[in-house]
Amino acid sequence: MRRTRYLAVGTAMVVMLAACGGDAEDEATSAPATDGEATEATEGMTTEPASEPATAGGPGCAELTIGSVHPLTGGLALDGTQMDNAAQMAATDLSTDGLSITIESADSQGQPEVGQTEAQRLIQEGANALIGTYQSAVTTNLATVAQREQVPLVIDVAVDDAITSPDNDYVFRIQPNATAMGTFGAQYIQALGENSGEPVETVVYMHDETSFGTSVLAAFEAEAANVGIEILETIAYNPFEVQDVTTEMQRVAAQEPDVLVVTGYYNDGVLVAETAASVQPAVNAIVGVAQGAYDLPQFPEDAPDASNGILDSNYHFDATKERVQDIRSRFEEEYGEAMRTAAVLSYQAVEVIATAAQSAASCDGADIAAAIQDVEVSDPLLTFPGPITFDDSGENENAQPVLMQVQDGAVVQVYPEEFAEADIMFPAVPWQ
Amino acid sequence: MSDVDASTPAGLRTRLHVPRWVWGLAVALVVLLWRWSEVSDLAATGPGRTIALQALLTGLLIGGVYGLVAMGLSLIFGVLEIINFAHGAFLTLAMYMTWLMAEYAGIDPYLTLLITPVLMFLVGAVVQRVVINPAMGQPLENQLLLTFALSILIENGLLLAFSANPRSVRVDYATGSIGPLEFPLRIGGAIIELPRVMAFIGGLVVAGALFAFLNRSRIGTAIRATGLNRTGASLVGVNVDRIQVMTFGLGTAVAAAAGVLVLPFLTLEPTTGAQFNILSFVIVVLGGLGNIGGALIGGILIGLTQEIGGLLFPGQSKLLPVFIIFIATLFLKPEGLFGGGAE
Repeated sequence: MRRTRYLAVGTAMVVMLAACGGDAEDEATSAPATDGEATEATEGMTTEPASEPATAGGPGCAELTIGSVHPLTGGLALDGTQMDNAAQMAATDLSTDGLSITIESADSQGQPEVGQTEAQRLIQEGANALIGTYQSAVTTNLATVAQREQVPLVIDVAVDDAITSPDNDYVFRIQPNATAMGTFGAQYIQALGENSGEPVETVVYMHDETSFGTSVLAAFEAEAANVGIEILETIAYNPFEVQDVTTEMQRVAAQEPDVLVVTGYYNDGVLVAETAASVQPAVNAIVGVAQGAYDLPQFPEDAPDASNGILDSNYHFDATKERVQDIRSRFEEEYGEAMRTAAVLSYQAVEVIATAAQSAASCDGADIAAAIQDVEVSDPLLTFPGPITFDDSGENENAQPVLMQVQDGAVVQVYPEEFAEADIMFPAVPWQ
Repeated sequence: MSDVDASTPAGLRTRLHVPRWVWGLAVALVVLLWRWSEVSDLAATGPGRTIALQALLTGLLIGGVYGLVAMGLSLIFGVLEIINFAHGAFLTLAMYMTWLMAEYAGIDPYLTLLITPVLMFLVGAVVQRVVINPAMGQPLENQLLLTFALSILIENGLLLAFSANPRSVRVDYATGSIGPLEFPLRIGGAIIELPRVMAFIGGLVVAGALFAFLNRSRIGTAIRATGLNRTGASLVGVNVDRIQVMTFGLGTAVAAAAGVLVLPFLTLEPTTGAQFNILSFVIVVLGGLGNIGGALIGGILIGLTQEIGGLLFPGQSKLLPVFIIFIATLFLKPEGLFGGGAE
């Protein structure tokens, strides 16, 4: 039948398009921006080797151009735009008389090829460094460009472990990667049980089936064995198609675990929480590990009856720090929306590059990359236990998530203690 | 096509004719045996039976909504022979309309069933008149690209207007008792949430209204006539152009009703409706092109396939069994389970 064939072709097209959309994997949550403690700019001239070096060593760096690649259109535009705005704000904050920072923005459209082309364009137009991109798939492509063009890429948000490697000296990541997320997640859940006298021995793990969910799960599985947590069952779902998880929640209830662990994005996270409140499995708590909903202020508003007590181990701006509070309040004043953690991370990425450019006294990409390798950015804007420094692979050695909990309709930091704003409630589920 | 016997001449039969439904049954049996450990797990234990019951109920309830969305698509395809890629985008647009009314005017989302589909009927009618109509009779790919462009336009327009920030509308009577029923309802341990029941019942009501309209009213008769034979319909005095405008509007209104019905349990983003596109196309093929009743039944079948397939093939995408059914339909019964064509 001719019509059937048309429709089959049509459906194939829809599927392919959906697959493209699937690439748009947004990375959990947002981060706070670092405010620039306007470091002394090295008096310097330009990047031209011809000009006399003003400081010992390098020729100095007076005009630093940072390319900012984020999804400014498409389904992830909300975070992408915030991140770009935060980068602009950081550039203004951190520019001094001797160092003027310019942000050149580009739209990845959430697509790896587009992001790659745009990054290439920015470098050709004179970008000395790149930040980006909110998505692992896009960031992977940018990492290749960065290495080839010898321009440093400081990742603000992208979780996939494989993006950085010891062989690529031009890629650095501030946030905890998937392995760190899963590992800390298991440790925090173990500590949760131990500190409350209600040990957590068994969990069921619900996760999105993209590389994000599966890689965090893999790290969690490895660490769970070390800390004595048994994973009774893992349940995967498609975060972009899911409309109902009641059957999945019944499978959780049938296992009767101590804790339900969840990794995924916003919409599916809300759905899981609401379904849990209906099915009411006999668990002591629901804990997100890098879950994209449970640490956002919007979550308790969207699910008032299904959110109280839910925990999330995720990277987060350090709400206890004055510098962070200042940046976030200025951001909200300027752009009219609360600054998410992803945007705070973009701010932090600009700060890392600016600090390195000053210590390198050079605007040359390779010089900045070498300087980032040795840089130490103190007073980080996120809940890291120490300054930002990078290991051989380019991972932040002090990257660490924090455990948050919805209490009385607000998300508060509860563990580790140095970052705690309130005491942990455990056991705690929304329906009690 | 399966009953070959009628056309077989008497005499020597040199080929073994196996009716296609036998193949279907055989495949189902093989799957059942292949997944026997999952099946027996579900059947043998109490919690297992609860899970199985939940899968059946969930599949049925969500399938009703799929069916409704697919009915709109099938109607448009049956009469206009246009593959409407923008169907999901229209659904999203309707959801935003309802969200606006619920958020800013405090109107109960279910009450907007009286408003949103009417507005979306007008949107659909205007779109057909202005955008689609000039492309009628042009090659298929022109129409494909046109409706596809339309969906991009709508999605990005919504993004511009509302940002990608997820929105939600919840009714506060979703939990609590209504008459003797305490929601969420528990049947043998399985859970039924009020918004999902409302979506299912609402879907059936809208489907019933659509049937009545198509079968009883003059315009409905004209729509069916146009679907059967455009030239013939115009010869007996049907204004085919106007019927096409109305049909597109009607199909869009049906999608809008589905959008309103799912809003109380989904989170709304400019891309939310797109996820219904794939399923709708599969359902339309399964139910028979232009067969509106077939679309409704097909929707429920796909809903059940998704849920039960998810149990039998844990760790796989729920869409996997759906696509297996899709491909099997194209091979075994390309005219759909219930035959194609406008009724």
